[in-house]
Amino acid sequence: MKLEVKEIYKSFEEKEVLHGVSFEVESGRALGLLGRNGAGKTTTIRILMDVFHANKGEILLDGKPFNRGKSSIGYLPEERGLYPKRIVTEQMIYLANLRGLNTADAKKNTEKWLKRLEVEEYAKRKLETLSKGNQQKVQLAATLVCDPDIVILDEPFSGLDPVNSQILKDVVNELIEDKKIVIFSSHQMSYVEEFCDNIAVINKGNVVLDGNLKEIKKDYGKNRLILSAENYDLSALSGKVSKEFGGFVSVTGKKKEFLILELAGNTTKKEFVQALSSSDIDIERFGRYEPSLNDIFVSKVGDEDGEEENGENDKKYA
Amino acid sequence: MKSFWIVLKYELKEYFASKGFVAFTLLLALGGIILLSLPRFIDMSEFTGVGGKEETEESKTEEEKDEWDKLYLLDEAGVTDLEVLRQFFPETEWIVAENIDALKQAVEEKEAEAGFVVKSADAYDYYVYNKGMYDKNSVMFDEAMKVFYRIAYCAENNLDYAEITGMLETPITVNEQILGKDTESNYWYCYMLVILVFMLIMLYGQMIAVSITNEKSNRAIEVLVTSTSPNSLLFGKVIAGAISGLVQSGIILGSILIAYQFNRAQWGGILDMIFHIPVQVLVTFAFFGLGGYLFYAFLYGAVGALVSKMEDISKSSGGLMTVIMVVYFFSLIQLANIDGPIIKVLSFLPISSYSTMFARIAMGSVSVAEIVISFLILVASIIGVGILGAKLYRMGTLRYGNPIKLSTALKSIRKSE
Repeated sequence: MKLEVKEIYKSFEEKEVLHGVSFEVESGRALGLLGRNGAGKTTTIRILMDVFHANKGEILLDGKPFNRGKSSIGYLPEERGLYPKRIVTEQMIYLANLRGLNTADAKKNTEKWLKRLEVEEYAKRKLETLSKGNQQKVQLAATLVCDPDIVILDEPFSGLDPVNSQILKDVVNELIEDKKIVIFSSHQMSYVEEFCDNIAVINKGNVVLDGNLKEIKKDYGKNRLILSAENYDLSALSGKVSKEFGGFVSVTGKKKEFLILELAGNTTKKEFVQALSSSDIDIERFGRYEPSLNDIFVSKVGDEDGEEENGENDKKYA
Repeated sequence: MKSFWIVLKYELKEYFASKGFVAFTLLLALGGIILLSLPRFIDMSEFTGVGGKEETEESKTEEEKDEWDKLYLLDEAGVTDLEVLRQFFPETEWIVAENIDALKQAVEEKEAEAGFVVKSADAYDYYVYNKGMYDKNSVMFDEAMKVFYRIAYCAENNLDYAEITGMLETPITVNEQILGKDTESNYWYCYMLVILVFMLIMLYGQMIAVSITNEKSNRAIEVLVTSTSPNSLLFGKVIAGAISGLVQSGIILGSILIAYQFNRAQWGGILDMIFHIPVQVLVTFAFFGLGGYLFYAFLYGAVGALVSKMEDISKSSGGLMTVIMVVYFFSLIQLANIDGPIIKVLSFLPISSYSTMFARIAMGSVSVAEIVISFLILVASIIGVGILGAKLYRMGTLRYGNPIKLSTALKSIRKSE
């Protein structure tokens, strides 16, 4: 299966908050939908879930118009919420019924997912009597209770301790292995890097970066090197490199343990290594720079002034 | 449609599994049955006029007589007769005062309820400490004095007082044949049914609004609207609320009516005006009452969708409550003028036909065509507010913050269409 979001536009009253958002995701793959607060991620997801109607654009599943009612989707919204005063099992069966499962299958799946997420002992309890983490796991179980083909997880790790996070990580990996379409929205880049083959970065209602994560990283690391020395601290090394090797590289960043350098003009890595070897710098680390997703994200959307709220989206539709 | 049934079933289960709901229903139903069965177990003949021992003045104990009202009499004209006075004032002890000071003192010290000083055959003074709103002593004494006057007149003129009285007060036999409707006997159960449907709307309408707002405040709404259609959710919830209200009131009202039928003889039929409701009126009430109830239930559902905090419900439902209250008071007032023009107009408006049309059917003159037209208008209006409510629900689904004004909501709906 292939889900394509094409040129989605959305306005609330007079303000346009999505300006042609596009991305695609296939079965057995996870897409990381990234963006700052108010960028338009949740609005995009809600359009996908048919909560809002897009003003323009289309959503296709295997090339045909996507019909939410006919597709099996599990959606974990960022704003968690079930019925606090009702029994866990009863409300999960109810949700499964609403999503098309008969009661026997709904019961079976409820047991399966509560067990998988290690909260089966709370099956007969009212939701409000559970800890926040366990409520979160019940919510995830409710998301997956219909064994959906498309899974949309909005900030699934918030509120989970490391042990529960590991359980959730395993579940997400299983979903990907089971050839589900997974759309994963999170501010925790490490999780996105762990699960997602592709990313789409939304900023102020525009997709500013999308594609295969490895390719993006490779592209961002192109002509970039890392360097640290045994006999110079990073500040001194930065000054020395700028002064003595300015024709070969420029210092573009400094991490805790190394400098990030960018090859100048047509300079090759080999030429720079030769120049470096003739200096007194005792090389500790040298190699190709591999940017983290966080670095890429910050470089793409972090240079804007403050956070712009996404129109009505985050004001009224939070 | 399948989703609608799932929502309906789930919501109904929640209502019927609620201990409060079950306890309240049983308590009122059993309370009604027990109260209406009381004449079977205890002597209520004084109230019902059925059964019990015949009591005479003589058979009453001294203790009972001590509790009687005391009236003082000073007859300066010598025209009164205590036996006659006792007939006019039953369960009253008459004390003849020695003089006017003794009578005044007894009244001032509240030993006597009042005192009468008869000056002549056609004049007397009435003494009372605080005159109550419903003091009828002087009125009764007037009547007694008239009798004394007539007796004295007959005696003076050699006339037979008994013969004259018999001639003047010949009993007339009336055989009433009501060819239309008896407004007097139908008035009280109509009154009760208007109050009942009003209470149902206010109580369950508010419950429906709370149930919908609750889903917004606990954020379950996003999971729900992404699991099924908002229409199924709203219709399922509103109709579940309506059914549970009908079941509850049906059980309570049914228990009371059946209990009264079983005990009607023991009550001597004195509560017929409230509980002996003709089947035709009950059927009409069921149709129009249910229709009006659903009409307002959908409006309350829409109100619930327009707010996201429980405390805002009463603020947003203020306008709706005002309409319901105005209709309620108009309906009750107009029961006294059942064929008047105001109630005729009200019986065709969907906001008021639920109470006024069945009242017209029970008490006034109304044609079948009028009933059918009124009911069709009501049904069309229910469908209309149902669709509007579902649109408002969908529009208000994920809007949080301050309550959305109805005008803003309607504008948003028009725009999105």
